[in-house]
Amino acid sequence: MDKYKDFSVADFLDDPDFMRWMTDQDHEDDIFWNEYIKLNPSKKDQINEAKLVFRLLQSRENKLTLSEQYDLWNNIQQASKSSGKQIVFQLLKYAAVLIFVFFLGAASYYYYQSSFSAHPLQFAETFPADAGAMVILADGSKISLRKEMSEILYSKNGDQLVVNNDTIRQKSEIKEALNKVIVSYGKKSMIVLSDGTKVWLNAGSQLIYPAAFIKEVREVSLVGEAFFDVAKNPERPFIVKAADVNVQVLGTRFDISAYPEDKIIQTVLEEGKITLKYEDNGLFKRDHTVEMAPNQMVEFDRLLRETTSSVVNVSKYVSWKEGMLEFEKVDLIKALKQIERFYNVNIMLDNQQIGTYKLSGKLDLKNTAEDVLNIIKLTLPVNWQRKTNGDYLLTKK
Amino acid sequence: MPKLDKRSDERLLWSRFLNGDDQVLSLIYLQYSNPLFDYGCRFSKNTDLVKDCIQEVFCNLLRTRKNLSETDNVKFYLLKSLKRQILKEIQKSSNKLVSINDQEYSFELLLGQNNDDQLNELNEVKQQALVEALESLTDRQKEAIYLRFDRGLEYNEISEILNLNYQSARALIHRAIEKLREVIHIQEQKFTQILFSILMSRTRPVL
Repeated sequence: MDKYKDFSVADFLDDPDFMRWMTDQDHEDDIFWNEYIKLNPSKKDQINEAKLVFRLLQSRENKLTLSEQYDLWNNIQQASKSSGKQIVFQLLKYAAVLIFVFFLGAASYYYYQSSFSAHPLQFAETFPADAGAMVILADGSKISLRKEMSEILYSKNGDQLVVNNDTIRQKSEIKEALNKVIVSYGKKSMIVLSDGTKVWLNAGSQLIYPAAFIKEVREVSLVGEAFFDVAKNPERPFIVKAADVNVQVLGTRFDISAYPEDKIIQTVLEEGKITLKYEDNGLFKRDHTVEMAPNQMVEFDRLLRETTSSVVNVSKYVSWKEGMLEFEKVDLIKALKQIERFYNVNIMLDNQQIGTYKLSGKLDLKNTAEDVLNIIKLTLPVNWQRKTNGDYLLTKK
Repeated sequence: MPKLDKRSDERLLWSRFLNGDDQVLSLIYLQYSNPLFDYGCRFSKNTDLVKDCIQEVFCNLLRTRKNLSETDNVKFYLLKSLKRQILKEIQKSSNKLVSINDQEYSFELLLGQNNDDQLNELNEVKQQALVEALESLTDRQKEAIYLRFDRGLEYNEISEILNLNYQSARALIHRAIEKLREVIHIQEQKFTQILFSILMSRTRPVL
């Protein structure tokens, strides 16, 4: 710590540790520097000035929109393809799968020769954050879901569905007609599939499924979070494809959270038995399966491609479908992410350390976002304010 | 330790890619496409040109993978390639026969614009002085500042991108920092002087 004794403002801006604190904004660094200032109050002014200079020197960012980002990636693939390098193309096909994962979470598309024949782009057009809530039928027609909590019911053969009490017919053909439900941030939906399986779809999520299950395997794709109550049918296993993992079940209740922006795919089993499948990172891309028991949570790290398992109180992870959020010593930053999705708002932290505060208790999502923030304010030493652009800012009390 | 997470993730991604794992290219793309786009837009307002150049950078990455090493910083490598590509394209479109040398391109900092939260901490006089001070920087100084404070590069990396030696790159940034500090301080002195004189004028009658 003595190292900084004779530091000037410019010295701080030269120091790799100081610069990392500024650029990475990790709370570990916050703790270190706040402690340092406390112990060396004489350096406070210089450090604050260095911080101010750093922030003044940062400029406004030019950003690609999500669709621009996706199109550009497609172009990169195309360009590599047309350069005639067969190997590159072959390899890029897998890369394509991965980007697909990130934008849609519907991977394993090529690996398992899925029955989904629709073109990936067709799904990519609508990203949950931008799109409104809607049902998209196999012929491309869209039915918008205006309610905050919509209900969609399919008839047994899938040729009829009831959306919030309106009955809609669609042609049931021999081949599987894929339907999709998109739920934007701030909304939720409950879907009863043609086999009787119930799916609660959380804010900012998508579910792709056949109107009627014709094949011997019942297959759906998920982006985001959903709770499944799968109708029992021992002859026809039910598979959920969520980004890099597949979950296979016969009949059971479980929750999967696989948002594209999250590094972790989280699966929590309430009852029954499910099997999680994924490929590892090794040279031979070996398949792994994890069998889960009730009350177990398995977290899959997409980068390391490893799983960790723990025993949890399931109700805390599935209470969102009843319009509640339940936390027990959860990092505030994690809880805020869920609140952001529910209310379709942005919540900023003035200080990264706030994100590490532990939140416990229940939040009723029937209340407004501001009510919820007020409750958090009562339990944790934070204040909130609304910025001119509509974002919320949490500050230390 | 979470402190190291970001950086070790980056290194892990890069080494996976170099070892032939193409699946991670999309992760690299997702992580760096926006920083690259942002950097590119500082050289050219033509966003299509910038996008084309990013495309070329990634295609090159695939082609030249065998020649790259684990010690390369992926962010640095991508930024450097993008700059080279963009200058090439700018040269092409301007029909110049000689290649653009380092003094010839312009670089935009976009400082003092849409930077409300930070600027609001300063009073109006300071804001104006700040904008003027930054406008007066050379394009190279602007680029050095950008690479240091927006992209978080090290001095040795900045010096390579700017074709300078380490000391000059550092001096370039230091001069800019001092300029900025002058703005912050001179105004503050004035401010305290005014404050002081007000206080004095108020207290005098009482005495």
